[in-house]
Amino acid sequence: MAILKHELKMNIKLLFIWMICVGASCLGCILLFNGLKESMEEMALAYAQMGTFSTALGLDKMNVSTMEGFYATEVAIIFAIGGAMFAAMAGVMVLSKEEEGHTAEFLYTLPLGRFVIVFWKYLSVAVQIFLFNFGCICLCLSGFAIAGEMPPGRELLLFHGAQFLMHLEVGSVCFLISACCKRKQTGAALGFAVLLYVADLMCRIVPDIENLKYVTPYYFSNAADIFVKESVDGTMLWLAVWVIVLATGLAAVIYQKRDLS
Amino acid sequence: MKDKVIEIKNLTKSYGKKRGVDHISLSVEKGDIFGFLGPNGAGKSTTIRSMLGLIRFQEGEIRLLQMDTVKQQTEILKQVGYMPSEAMFYPSMKVKEVIRFAAKARNMDCTKEAEKLCGILEVDGEKKIEELSLGNRKKVSIVCAMQHKPEILILDEPTSGLDPLMQEAFFQLIMEYNKQGCTCFLSSHVLSEVKSYCKNAAIIKEGKIIKKDTVSNLSQSNMRKIFVRANGQEKEFSYTGDMKELIHKLDGMEVEDVLIREPSLEEIFMHYYEQSKENNQEGSETKH
Repeated sequence: MAILKHELKMNIKLLFIWMICVGASCLGCILLFNGLKESMEEMALAYAQMGTFSTALGLDKMNVSTMEGFYATEVAIIFAIGGAMFAAMAGVMVLSKEEEGHTAEFLYTLPLGRFVIVFWKYLSVAVQIFLFNFGCICLCLSGFAIAGEMPPGRELLLFHGAQFLMHLEVGSVCFLISACCKRKQTGAALGFAVLLYVADLMCRIVPDIENLKYVTPYYFSNAADIFVKESVDGTMLWLAVWVIVLATGLAAVIYQKRDLS
Repeated sequence: MKDKVIEIKNLTKSYGKKRGVDHISLSVEKGDIFGFLGPNGAGKSTTIRSMLGLIRFQEGEIRLLQMDTVKQQTEILKQVGYMPSEAMFYPSMKVKEVIRFAAKARNMDCTKEAEKLCGILEVDGEKKIEELSLGNRKKVSIVCAMQHKPEILILDEPTSGLDPLMQEAFFQLIMEYNKQGCTCFLSSHVLSEVKSYCKNAAIIKEGKIIKKDTVSNLSQSNMRKIFVRANGQEKEFSYTGDMKELIHKLDGMEVEDVLIREPSLEEIFMHYYEQSKENNQEGSETKH
């Protein structure tokens, strides 16, 4: 528990910065909706006829002139990418920062055991991702309240549940990277989060690489799909859970056996 | 015979092709202050890091307090205080937070002892770690290593960065803890502090232990430093062997002055190093 508190205390500033930046961007977009509503109706028609571009962004499925469609196609992208970037950063720093900052000798000579430390550190990443999601959702909900319009509650809940899982998956993979590196790979982690988004766009456009949908977690947590189907693909969800378990387990095993500098 | 609280048998650790330590063995008895001497890169830190479970070794066995360092690492660490050569903590934390965190991780309330140590070492708990010099970080490290009154203190080059007054205060603390039964394993390349405070010592060179003995035996080597002035020339050299033979050799020279003295620990240390080098060269020549 001491490690969890310690980690949260160390990262609270970063968490708030990201939460405010991403959450406020989402809130700003939601508040813009009423002002853009009329022009959006014309744009919705144009967007729907933009072929593969529309497919990639889900504009062929959703009407961007409704709050539901606007949220699923515009706001959700900011939330998804912003959250994935934060999760990647939180995951990739948590273990390797000890070696880079030369604090590993202090931390790992306390009688806690490496496995226990890895466990609490992972939990701290998960808690940070949860708090990030929670904070951003609160800001979005306040935006809906001010705008006087809200997407359907069930779909919204499903979307944010899937987003939390997606962020946790990205964070877990980056946690594995962190277990293998002596230095913080922040740049690589941010790149990884963006690359997965590009992979999602690509596999929606190019049929030959459709199988990439099993690789990128943006696919199963896509807002337009969830709002249209009113469900999340169960297979994809299980796959995400497996990736999380596998990445975390591997990280623990690797970190147990590694020499710490 | 006293209990052995540190037992290292055949420890071998390499980093890929790089040497770490090579089949080293040593033991430290309860209540001892053991000096571990060697220059930078000799393998001192590798040995210590293996003892603490920070690195995994390829061969050998290490037992601390009769417990295996690989299998019972957490149990061992509960009774060990460690002071690394580079005392690094989380820069944004306050000194008192770091000290409290270290105590909390041990599930102990060490407030009283920590306050006592902070008082002796003049540690300001309100300062942030990032504001501290190396010496002050070292002091925090001493508090973290000692506040739980450990059975074993492992100190890796503890005095580097400390001013002479603090070095004195630090060694007084070591002596006080030692009197209470604490065993100290002190890695250093400062020979004077080993000579002043340690009972036993080992010298490590290029990953191998080249000498193990009591500090007084190490100091009482039969090596002598000879200073000779003859034929207008001055010469200083080390001599190990029969004194009659030396006098016989000097007899043939026009000696103006001779000084024969006991070597310092530094000179003995260098002597062992050179001896080991010669042995190695002889060994490699025989192989050829």
